[in-house]
Amino acid sequence: MSTFYSAAEDARLTLANLTDAVTDLAVPTVRLGVTGLARAGKTVFITALVHNLVHGGRLPVFQAASGGRLTSARLQPQPDDAVPRFDYEDHVAALVNDRIWPESTRQVSELRLTIDYESAHFFNRRFGRGRLHLDLIDYPGEWLLDLPLLTKSYAAFSASALKRARAANRSSLSAEFLGLLAETKPDAPESEQDAQRLAAAFKAYLANCRSDAHALSMLPPGRFLMPGDLDGSPALTFSPLEFPVDAAAPRAGTLRAMMERRFEAYKAHVVRPFFRNHFARLDRQIVLVDVQHAINAGPAALSDLEDALGEVLTAFRPGRHSWLSSILTRRIDRILFAATKADHLHRDDHDRLQAILRRLVNRGIDHARFKGAKVEVLAMAAVRATREATLRHGGQELPAILGTPMPDERLNGDRYDGTAEIAMFPGDLPDDPAALFDRPANTATTPAGAAGPGHADPALQFLRFRPPELDRTAEGKTLSLPHIRLDRALEFLIGDRLA
Amino acid sequence: MTESTPPPGRQSVRKPAAFRLDDKTVQFEEEPAADPLTAEAAMSDEAGQAIALQRPAPPAGRRVRFGTWIALGFGGLASLAVGLAVDNLIRDLFARTDWLGWTGVALALLAVFGLLGLLIREAVALARLGKIDGLRERLEKAAEDDDAVAARGALGDLIALYKDRPETARNRRILSGHMREVIDGRDLVGLAERDLLAPLDSEARRIVLNSAKRVSLVTAVSPRALVDLLAVLFENVRIIRRLSALYGGRPGMLGFLRLIRHIGTHLALTGGMAAGDSLASQFLGHGLVARLSTRLGEGVVNGLLTARIGIAAIAVCRPAPFVRTRGPTVSEFMSELMKAAETGDTTSGGI
Repeated sequence: MSTFYSAAEDARLTLANLTDAVTDLAVPTVRLGVTGLARAGKTVFITALVHNLVHGGRLPVFQAASGGRLTSARLQPQPDDAVPRFDYEDHVAALVNDRIWPESTRQVSELRLTIDYESAHFFNRRFGRGRLHLDLIDYPGEWLLDLPLLTKSYAAFSASALKRARAANRSSLSAEFLGLLAETKPDAPESEQDAQRLAAAFKAYLANCRSDAHALSMLPPGRFLMPGDLDGSPALTFSPLEFPVDAAAPRAGTLRAMMERRFEAYKAHVVRPFFRNHFARLDRQIVLVDVQHAINAGPAALSDLEDALGEVLTAFRPGRHSWLSSILTRRIDRILFAATKADHLHRDDHDRLQAILRRLVNRGIDHARFKGAKVEVLAMAAVRATREATLRHGGQELPAILGTPMPDERLNGDRYDGTAEIAMFPGDLPDDPAALFDRPANTATTPAGAAGPGHADPALQFLRFRPPELDRTAEGKTLSLPHIRLDRALEFLIGDRLA
Repeated sequence: MTESTPPPGRQSVRKPAAFRLDDKTVQFEEEPAADPLTAEAAMSDEAGQAIALQRPAPPAGRRVRFGTWIALGFGGLASLAVGLAVDNLIRDLFARTDWLGWTGVALALLAVFGLLGLLIREAVALARLGKIDGLRERLEKAAEDDDAVAARGALGDLIALYKDRPETARNRRILSGHMREVIDGRDLVGLAERDLLAPLDSEARRIVLNSAKRVSLVTAVSPRALVDLLAVLFENVRIIRRLSALYGGRPGMLGFLRLIRHIGTHLALTGGMAAGDSLASQFLGHGLVARLSTRLGEGVVNGLLTARIGIAAIAVCRPAPFVRTRGPTVSEFMSELMKAAETGDTTSGGI
């Protein structure tokens, strides 16, 4: 059944790709997927990318722009009519005028940027169109955690979800849900009320895990946290149940049968359309990771992030791009892993941040390289909110950053109001990333709920900063958004298509 | 990082700290003054601080060079002989009449001053060449290790090298702008190549091409082999001098000799590699042209050899390695030379 289904799915994908290939003959298109777990900075990345390209920002490492070959870039109506448009204008206004970070990604959205350029090669200049559509597809990384569910049965899903819920670092968070589960008999007659209660408790547990203090990431199913328009529908009202993995098929009319049916419905109506309509049609992918957020919350959050990223990366279909393969199946031939918010660190620490990220996504890198895709790891900041300075304090030289912290951020018992500018030294990242992961057993197993972020590393503390104040020209035009290594990311992601 | 496991390579754990900029506890300062109190902090802006110059380790100690000793010994002896002769001459002059003697002293002093001036200039020129060599090594290493701090230091020196060249002012400013941003080491060196050195590179290419064209032309029309030889020698000396001046070295006599030695080494080292990529085409081309005329063929070959020396000279004189581009190749000059040879282009160059 499932083999037949996937064959049919593949045929449909091939057909869609053939259509795309034909339209590509006129003007080539690059579909760039932008993803990352919640608050990784997806929206800011897209906004900054478009703003810098459209307004001719400072992009010295991006060869096409700095060499003067990029004639113009402008926004165009997007090709997929059923997908919401990425609200670029509002996000820019939020960043530039109100100095707040734009609202987070709640659903898939898309934006088409058309770039006119002059090729550096004689042949392409002569016969190429000199135009490229860049389709930016923004989707929540949590949804990626759903893709592995496609191959899982309900029994396997239940087993792994419960195992995670009972792990030492989550047991205090999941107590309520587990208590409810203990009272429930899977073979009891089905009841909508029971299902709703269980699902609500399960959702509450997932939401708890995601809160700042714990910053856990491995929380499938993704739609439970970002329901979109399906909120309250039966497909989103299920939860794992306690029963042996090799149990016989449930009798019709039991709670377990109902849950299993809904799980299958979730796969069919939520996961598969996302995979088919968006995910399987990407050419390039950037995965944004907020490493500092996880470091703030401690080693448990870091290793959870590692698991989640490992899971996410197995969902990609990387591979070498060839002429035939590009017509029949799309493969992601370049993946960039970017540690965002590098501006919250002094530049001396960027290499270390990169090493930590490399360690986090190690599995994915190996997988993608093996399949023939190019992979790069980068510490970047799509919008640079801070400046750098050197502090001398207590006989030490501290590499510090200057910026305005977000309202209600705290450090050393001091609370900031969102207007005061501070100079801050966040602590040194370790030279060896493993030091952040492998903690002495007693600190790693401290009940996570007990002391909030108290169990995190006291030698490292990151604050969130407000977007920077932008200079304006005499005519009141805002200058381009400052960034760190956005140009290098662009060069890697689309530089070769503009060569 | 807990206290029990200090990170390797760092002396102590530095705790996170933050200071409000409107507080009295923060002093803004240009130059580091007295140490701030425990609860206070002093702050200076980023520029200059990030450029912790990491001088490369000095090259490994050389072996004792007896040749140098011999040269020193004989040189000293010769100088003594000259000094003795001058001394004797002046004594003789004083013995004849006083004013003749004083004239002699004045002339001798003049000569000594001249010699001193010459020596100082040579020394400065040599130091400058040494600086360029050192710069190239540092940039190469910075690009290889992707080390932003080292690259910033070396590029600062590169900009200083071209400070008295007004035509590079705009490019220097662009590069300084890049250096203020957070860019990785290899990218920075690549940017320097594109934004600061590219105009110089194209000028260098033009110098080499013109010389090669002239050599091939002279070879083709000259009546005697001796004339060829002199022309080739003259052009090569000229290429090296002009390239060195273009890239910021001002070689004197000794510096020039040193450059020639480096170029010789470079040619010997790269000769093997170049044989694969271009020698075949060179002689193929030679064969074709030689069918038209033997002298024309010789001209092309001589021109190519000149071009090859020019390429080696570029590699030796340029204060930065080729990181993003590949640098000029013989085959690039080949087509131009062939064109010039076939059309009997007499307008090229400026003789």
